[in-house]
Amino acid sequence: MNLPYGARLASIAAASFFAVNLAAGAVSLALERILRRRSNGCDPRRAAAILLALRLGPGAVALAAVAILCVPSFLVLEPAETGESASVVCLAMAILGVVLTAAGAARGATAWLRSRGFEGSSETLRLGARRFPVRIVKSQRPLLALVGVARPRLVATRAVLRALKPAELDAALRHERAHAVSRDNSKRLLMALAPDLVPFGAGLRGLERSWARYAERAADDRAVAGSARRSVALAAALVRVARLGAAAPIPLAASLMGDAADLEARVERLLRAPLPAGNRSGRQPWLWALASVAATTAVCAAYPVLLITVHELLERFMD
Amino acid sequence: MRWFKAQSDELGHLENTVMEALWRHGEGNVREVGARLGRPLAYTTVMTTLDRLYKKGFLERRKQDRAFVYSPRYSETQWERKRAGEFLAGYLSGPRTSRDLLISCLVDAAGERDSALLDELERKIRSKRKELSGGRPS
Repeated sequence: MNLPYGARLASIAAASFFAVNLAAGAVSLALERILRRRSNGCDPRRAAAILLALRLGPGAVALAAVAILCVPSFLVLEPAETGESASVVCLAMAILGVVLTAAGAARGATAWLRSRGFEGSSETLRLGARRFPVRIVKSQRPLLALVGVARPRLVATRAVLRALKPAELDAALRHERAHAVSRDNSKRLLMALAPDLVPFGAGLRGLERSWARYAERAADDRAVAGSARRSVALAAALVRVARLGAAAPIPLAASLMGDAADLEARVERLLRAPLPAGNRSGRQPWLWALASVAATTAVCAAYPVLLITVHELLERFMD
Repeated sequence: MRWFKAQSDELGHLENTVMEALWRHGEGNVREVGARLGRPLAYTTVMTTLDRLYKKGFLERRKQDRAFVYSPRYSETQWERKRAGEFLAGYLSGPRTSRDLLISCLVDAAGERDSALLDELERKIRSKRKELSGGRPS
């Protein structure tokens, strides 16, 4: 099928996005399987960061490949006046790429809209040792969570506040504030927006569930800050809230309970004191900076050759 | 009637023993399987049982030195999962009363399990509190 210049550029970009995302997603899944076998006893914050990178990586790599390589190579090396055709495979992949992006956007928007209802409330109480502001919400199910992306707020139902003793409530609120410090709801939104392997697929959702489990453990660590008493209080809070029933499901919220199936493991971990204080350690920013500079230099040096190679590949792909 | 089909796939006592022997020790011919059963059985009884299991689709077989070597088609976990799935599918495709009864039993069982788990976790928390306050853990 003969396509005008602009349509060819758009189809090449969308098809390349789909292909690179699919390949990078497969690599992510393979890496996750390897990491899962070696993740026993590792720092939850580091594990959560790795899982987040594996979940967002495919989409980011695909976007970068399109923006840095495919589009520039097409614009620079493809003559504007040629009326070339696009193969059926290329067009099919372009459609898949567009649907994949749209599905991600729709998922993100739905999650955001479903979470908004819980943010608004007229009554705010100051609770816990640090007097955290907590909005009271009405819900049939028990809820103590951090809701919202841009301005996350603590929300709770009266049933949960009544059930918890002061020390338990304080530990639970510290746990939720830890999610705010880590910007976990923003990460949830990014993961909801990020494309999966195929449109409407759930191939990378396992990474999101694993990330959520490690994010809960990381928030536990930060909340208890190495205190054995606070660990026990948080464990007791988890069990008390679990007794009230399943939590209200909110997509962009860090609920105290997290994944109910993980409750036992979390409580056991909290009772196995002392927990780490949750401080970042062993980071070597200079090493990352050096690696980034080296990678950027290498890409810049090889850029003209890369563009020619990519253009040749795209030409073959289009025919 | 899937419920009846699931019933017909049930293994008899000897068939079950043979399957367990194969899962535990791996593939074998009639003589080897017979020796692993832990009780004296006629060669023909073992052969008939293995043949029946093969025809039911539980075993695979290949010829080696004029004798068949049998091996399980499913791992023990796969078989348990298949059996549970068929049992549930049988109930769910049955009359509404049996379906409701099954769902109610499952909900009760899950609730009891959750409650027992929470009791156990609370006991551990109490014990840890005691330990922290200087008392001996119970």
